[in-house]
Amino acid sequence: MPPRRDAEYMDVDSDSDISLPDDDYDGSRAKGKGRSKTGERKSEKGKGKAKDNQAYTWEASYARSWDTVQEDEAGSLQTSVEELLARGRRRRLLAPAAAVRRTIIRHLILLLDLSSSMMDRDMRPTRFDLMLQYAREFIVEWFDQNPLGQIGIVGMRAGLGEKIGHMSGNPQDVLKAISERHKLEPVGEPSLQNAIEMAKSTMSHLPTHSSREILVVFGSLTTCDPGNIHDTLDTCVKNKIRISVVALAAEMKICREMCDKTGGQFGVAMNEGHFKDLLFELVPPPAQRASRAAGAGATNPAADLMMMGFPTRLPDASPQSFCVCHNELKSEGYLCPRCQAKICDIPTDCDICGLMIVSSPHLARSYHHLFPVKPYEIVAASEALSERATECHACSRPFPLTPAASATEGMSPVGRYRCPECHNEFCSECDVFIHDVVHCCPGCGK
Amino acid sequence: MNDPRGDHLSVVVDLSPTQWHLSALQPPANVYPLPLSSFLSQLLAFLNSHMACKHENTLAVFGALPGKSVMLYSSTNPAKNLQVMDSNSYPPFKLVDTTVVTRTAEELDALGDPDEEEPLGLVGAMTKALCYINRITLPPAQIPGKKQGISNSLVMPEPRILVLSVSPDHATSYIPIMNSIFSAQKLKVTIDVCQLYGPETVFLQQAAHLTGGSYIHLERRDALLQYLIMSFLPPPSIRKVLSVPTQDKIDFRAACFCHKTIVDVGFVCSVCLSIFCQPVPVCSTCRTKFPIKTLQRLNASRPPPNATNTTRTTTGTPVPQSASNPTTPALTQPTSTNGSSVHRPAQARSSLSQQSSM
Ligand SMILES: [Zn+2]
Ligand SMILES: [Zn+2]
Ligand SMILES: [Zn+2]
Ligand SMILES: [Zn+2]
Ligand SMILES: [Zn+2]
Ligand SMILES: [Zn+2]
Repeated sequence: MPPRRDAEYMDVDSDSDISLPDDDYDGSRAKGKGRSKTGERKSEKGKGKAKDNQAYTWEASYARSWDTVQEDEAGSLQTSVEELLARGRRRRLLAPAAAVRRTIIRHLILLLDLSSSMMDRDMRPTRFDLMLQYAREFIVEWFDQNPLGQIGIVGMRAGLGEKIGHMSGNPQDVLKAISERHKLEPVGEPSLQNAIEMAKSTMSHLPTHSSREILVVFGSLTTCDPGNIHDTLDTCVKNKIRISVVALAAEMKICREMCDKTGGQFGVAMNEGHFKDLLFELVPPPAQRASRAAGAGATNPAADLMMMGFPTRLPDASPQSFCVCHNELKSEGYLCPRCQAKICDIPTDCDICGLMIVSSPHLARSYHHLFPVKPYEIVAASEALSERATECHACSRPFPLTPAASATEGMSPVGRYRCPECHNEFCSECDVFIHDVVHCCPGCGK
Repeated sequence: MNDPRGDHLSVVVDLSPTQWHLSALQPPANVYPLPLSSFLSQLLAFLNSHMACKHENTLAVFGALPGKSVMLYSSTNPAKNLQVMDSNSYPPFKLVDTTVVTRTAEELDALGDPDEEEPLGLVGAMTKALCYINRITLPPAQIPGKKQGISNSLVMPEPRILVLSVSPDHATSYIPIMNSIFSAQKLKVTIDVCQLYGPETVFLQQAAHLTGGSYIHLERRDALLQYLIMSFLPPPSIRKVLSVPTQDKIDFRAACFCHKTIVDVGFVCSVCLSIFCQPVPVCSTCRTKFPIKTLQRLNASRPPPNATNTTRTTTGTPVPQSASNPTTPALTQPTSTNGSSVHRPAQARSSLSQQSSM
């Protein structure tokens, strides 16, 4: 909501020392202060850039929305905010739906730097907090564009690679893994090699034609590795793992080399906005980026028909049997629909018959893009109200009996929105909820 | 739980007249016949116990009827015409009982006697329940000009939906049901499913699994109330410490877009992820043309329709799910090199049979 965001905005822009809930990690704080001289200089530079650079869309649209808010008669912002939200959403609904193209299965390990250098404040509030915030937004956007994809999270701290979130196709699971800030407190030196080895091992079971990617957010200028990192790099090249790095401090030769050799992207974030841009450049699938650069034609060369199996999941309490992937005796697992072999994780290729096995709910996650609910029509005040339904068809809330005096464009004065298919009427909250979340009309079930 | 806020329960009741007629048939058609009247009285006892658990608990009942869905009762919009109170009953219970029973009877009477029953409005009832939960869980500030709504709009800790179904899966509702499941995930709503009659439903199984709810396929139908109270009355947070029936096998089959049949092996468009039950040259959803080579390869590798699964299952029945035997694959040698050699002869065989048929 705008008022709250305004407070955040002020914090970001003000020079006052932001108080962090960091009473329990004095060590890292002291270290942060020790470095503060260089940090301060950097932050001046970064801020100067951020101020000159008002072209970022997220900043621009934000500023405009604040200007247009006005108080109502009672001096409250609530109705304005309400209208603004509804109008913004409705405008988005009425825009012509761009053709959405999904691509095949992607697997991404997000490697987050949790070393003490992440406590630097050259990015506000700290590199660490900003990284967590952008990582959350990145995950949501990524799953929206890659419904069949999976994300796992690995952290680098105290010289070790640390598994933070398992590979999962459920955005909620992934977000939950990084939701607890205090568990991710930065400490020690990062180890690129250890972390990449760990990321590599979690991707070993994946189907052959799915992409394997590692995205490193790296704030440190050093890495402390137990062995030769070039050997790790060579195995990544051999396993077709693509490594991309977003550096927050400066360019490191090894990072650049990793990206170049594996076909990934490398970038150094200059300021907060640029950091976000670099991350979000990695949201669309790589193949799609290439075809877009070549002037995406009508025929997509990557388009293909894939045979997939939808498995049966065995309950945790079923009799134990051996899995075909690890030769381990266990109860839970999935049965290949073609050969009935038992597999531990999906998606994967069946080890026995070679069928690609996926979870059908993962496919279904993108179907609302294919069959969107038609935008509801705005019911005008002039339409006769006598024989109409008196309550919202979805939530049964009674409609207002008298038309609102001031209704802005795009809002119904009587608070009713009608489905063009089934002609049932809905309230504005249900309208927004149905189009943004449910993607299915309660009246006609389409 | 010391939470001052109550739990919200939305019950979606399947009121398909045909299925309830079948369910009420005496033995030998059913081992445990369950007529609608007996079901309703047990349901009312369950609803009353939900309200008795805590004074703040809220309740809504939705009915899924052929071709439509209705709200039968909600604790935020009490009935408009209050009946005469019976001095021998607790008024809130009496209110729920009379409202649900009279509304159900009204709706069933209004159906008339059509020759062919329209598809059930289960999706409509589920989406209505979601819209209702969305509305009552919105923070109070977002409800404009509704002062009396504020007391009801405290964010509920654990809203949940219980689906009491008697109908089999309707393959045309695959996409809308999946969409409702994902929106339930976003709202953190748990979906519980109790299949009272008929075969297992693939889609509702997935709904319960994906939202962390329980799925029960009722066998001892004379013990309905016991099942309801033991497994569905406690909120999900308490179920962790109780021993509730765990979900059996979960079937992840999907419905194809072309014929709306439920498939376990499908052909998927890589662009839009539409599912087809057979190789198609053009995706009907996004109009993508597929390479000829892929079609030839897929047609060749596809087993002849009647030979599905006969090679591996011990019983040789054409129903792959029920005939599955999880212990058999463990006996085979689980290496991928072996796997490819198993696969190749089958491919060769089916391509031979194709040539001979041409
Ligand atoms: Zn295994
Ligand atoms: Zn198999
Ligand atoms: Zn509504
Ligand atoms: Zn409609
Ligand atoms: Zn089909
Ligand atoms: Zn397609």
